[in-house]
Amino acid sequence: MRIFTAVFAIASGLIVLLGYFFPNQLEPLRLFLVDWAVIIAGMAVLVGVANLAFVQMEKIRTRQKNGSYSALLVLSLIVTFGLGLVFGPQHQIMRLAMDAVIFPVEASLMAILAVTLIYASIRLFRRRADAMTVLFLIVAVLFLLAIMPTPFGPIPGDWIVLEFAGMFSRGGARGLLIGVALGTLLTGLRVLFGIDRPYGGN
Amino acid sequence: MPIDVITAFIGFFLTLIIFSYLIGDNPLFRIAVHLFVGVSSGYAATVICYSVLLPRFTTLSLGDPVQLVIGLVPFFLGATLLTKLTPRISWIGSFALAILVGVGAATAIGGALIGTLIPQAQAAMDALNFRSAGSSSEAVFKLFDGVVMLTGTVLTLAYFQFSAKRAPDGTVKRNPILELLAWGGRVFIAITFGVLFAGVYMAALTAMIERLSSLINFVKSFLG
Repeated sequence: MRIFTAVFAIASGLIVLLGYFFPNQLEPLRLFLVDWAVIIAGMAVLVGVANLAFVQMEKIRTRQKNGSYSALLVLSLIVTFGLGLVFGPQHQIMRLAMDAVIFPVEASLMAILAVTLIYASIRLFRRRADAMTVLFLIVAVLFLLAIMPTPFGPIPGDWIVLEFAGMFSRGGARGLLIGVALGTLLTGLRVLFGIDRPYGGN
Repeated sequence: MPIDVITAFIGFFLTLIIFSYLIGDNPLFRIAVHLFVGVSSGYAATVICYSVLLPRFTTLSLGDPVQLVIGLVPFFLGATLLTKLTPRISWIGSFALAILVGVGAATAIGGALIGTLIPQAQAAMDALNFRSAGSSSEAVFKLFDGVVMLTGTVLTLAYFQFSAKRAPDGTVKRNPILELLAWGGRVFIAITFGVLFAGVYMAALTAMIERLSSLINFVKSFLG
């Protein structure tokens, strides 16, 4: 069984990867497999949502602490999903869910991030006040002052901050991006060589 | 009551409840967050059904049995993922997961190579191309810019080089030159994260201004 799952993963992965290099021969097969993966991923999300509901229902059933919150979560999930299935995501009722609940809560959580980030910066400075922390905070404050619209117009010398911080950060960001891409490449190759088997084939 | 008014009412109270977290964690905040998780999960599931699964399911060719069976295979494999919820028979879902991981890994390799590694390496090389520079002062500035960026890229990558040799006394240390390069990399990483932090903070501030202005507008419209 373990070998079969590994064969499935390696074969499908190799076909998709080779499809990039031999588009004339393997492009249709690559697109076919990617379409399969999209369907499976979509159903995996549905299974994940079902799992969320089951876990919360278990909390209610076993009368765990904060079970009433779980009841609210399950109820809102079932009602939204049920109405969504009946009316479709473009219906006015579903737009109500988006405009009245999802957007305001998301935006408000993002807004309180403005306060929690300040708090996190102070904590960082208290716990680890070394040269890099100081440099990080100075750059953050200077860059923020340079990009922030002020009531009295742009601060003097803002272009110097933008130019130099931009120059240095572009170099660092490029290094980080290349590092992430190399890491992704290596992890993908480990999966395709069967060294890592996150699908349960170990 | 018009639907816009209901939307504005719910949005207003949910915003106030979320902002109450700034005073401290409280039951109202938890209610709002659990409601948010429930509604957004239900909404995401609906969108997946309507945008991903139904269009593919309704276009299955009923006339050709072979095509129909081939078209139904991913749905069947997806359904086997439900067995992952029961540990005893969870192995059945491993085949679907294997295809997902295999295709995902290959797509990630292709994306990393075509979308990041090659364009970023190309851009790093182009930074030292002075043909487009108009004057000599512009060329000098472009050279400085290119050298700083290339140095930043190399030093940042050097920071993530953790290979080290074991010294005779048993301690593990990196090569002193690499250690120096890594220190330079830390400087570039600190500056990069400082700039990124400022960007995220600016986005959070924008969201804060938008929410506060929506609260004020709601109260104004309510009071007439």
